[in-house]
Amino acid sequence: MRTCFAEVLARESACLAGVTDGAMLADWRRRVVKELMTPRSPYALALRHSGDVPERAALLDRWRELIAETLERLLQSGAVGNSLCSSAQTPRGDIDAQKAAVLILAALHGGSTLSQIARDPWPLNAALDFALAPFAATEDDGPTRTRNE
Amino acid sequence: MYIQGVGDTTLDDVLAASGVSKSQLYHHFDGKDALVRAVIDLVGERVIERERDALGHVSTIAGLRRWRDALVQNNALRHGAYGCALGSLASEVTDHDALARQALSHLFAEWQELLAGVLRRLQDNGVLAPEASVDQLATGLMAALQGGYMLAQTARDVTPMATSIDMALAHIESLSAD
Repeated sequence: MRTCFAEVLARESACLAGVTDGAMLADWRRRVVKELMTPRSPYALALRHSGDVPERAALLDRWRELIAETLERLLQSGAVGNSLCSSAQTPRGDIDAQKAAVLILAALHGGSTLSQIARDPWPLNAALDFALAPFAATEDDGPTRTRNE
Repeated sequence: MYIQGVGDTTLDDVLAASGVSKSQLYHHFDGKDALVRAVIDLVGERVIERERDALGHVSTIAGLRRWRDALVQNNALRHGAYGCALGSLASEVTDHDALARQALSHLFAEWQELLAGVLRRLQDNGVLAPEASVDQLATGLMAALQGGYMLAQTARDVTPMATSIDMALAHIESLSAD
């Protein structure tokens, strides 16, 4: 168990550090979805509940920080947040990166549970489209509604 | 059982907790899988009944916030330790037991349909934009809720659950029809 936490953290540190625009954020998200939908992958194991694991709390804390730092960087550079501001959505100047990171992590966690019981990547993709909407890092053609991937 | 987790629960634990003998237990349940399914049915029925009462007539964002407040307050009483009974079962049972997985999948679909019903009423009232995808929003809200429960459970603090649902509701509100 401990090794899967370390592996997820190492990979997330490296991948998120390289994200500098919305397209790279979308790439990151695609990769994480693939990992989470792979049975017994370090990602799938790390988010799996079993017992009281302080290491999981540490992983989730650090992962949330890494996501928040990435969002902060994207917002400050203007790479996301100022473009594509449709009239139906709020202005992006007031996005709270810390709180948005909590929602994204919850979407990864809750979405992968829903996808695992449904045996379908759709719920996880829909959850991430929802959580990442302010950062416009949705899938190009939206989540495909296939029942058996 | 859902406090300890399905994987870590043995039949001996169940016997110790319930005070019944092994022969009595096997008389009623054909092994651990059958017992797990009975727990899923029981927990599922309770959760769906609670959520139908809470969401069945909600047709405003304020109503959704009251639903959120009740769930967060209830979970805060225990520092988030127990999480969502149904979500905890879902994150444990998935691999070996296809019937349990399907039962959980149906229960989550039923719960999510209650959320979708609220979102459709928001659309009917002109609060939510007609082009918003109710299915996607209901899934996003359910994942935010379940993920929030799991983050709270791991952190032993209800704050991430509150933040997660608040951000989800803020996003839904941002899609309001003008």
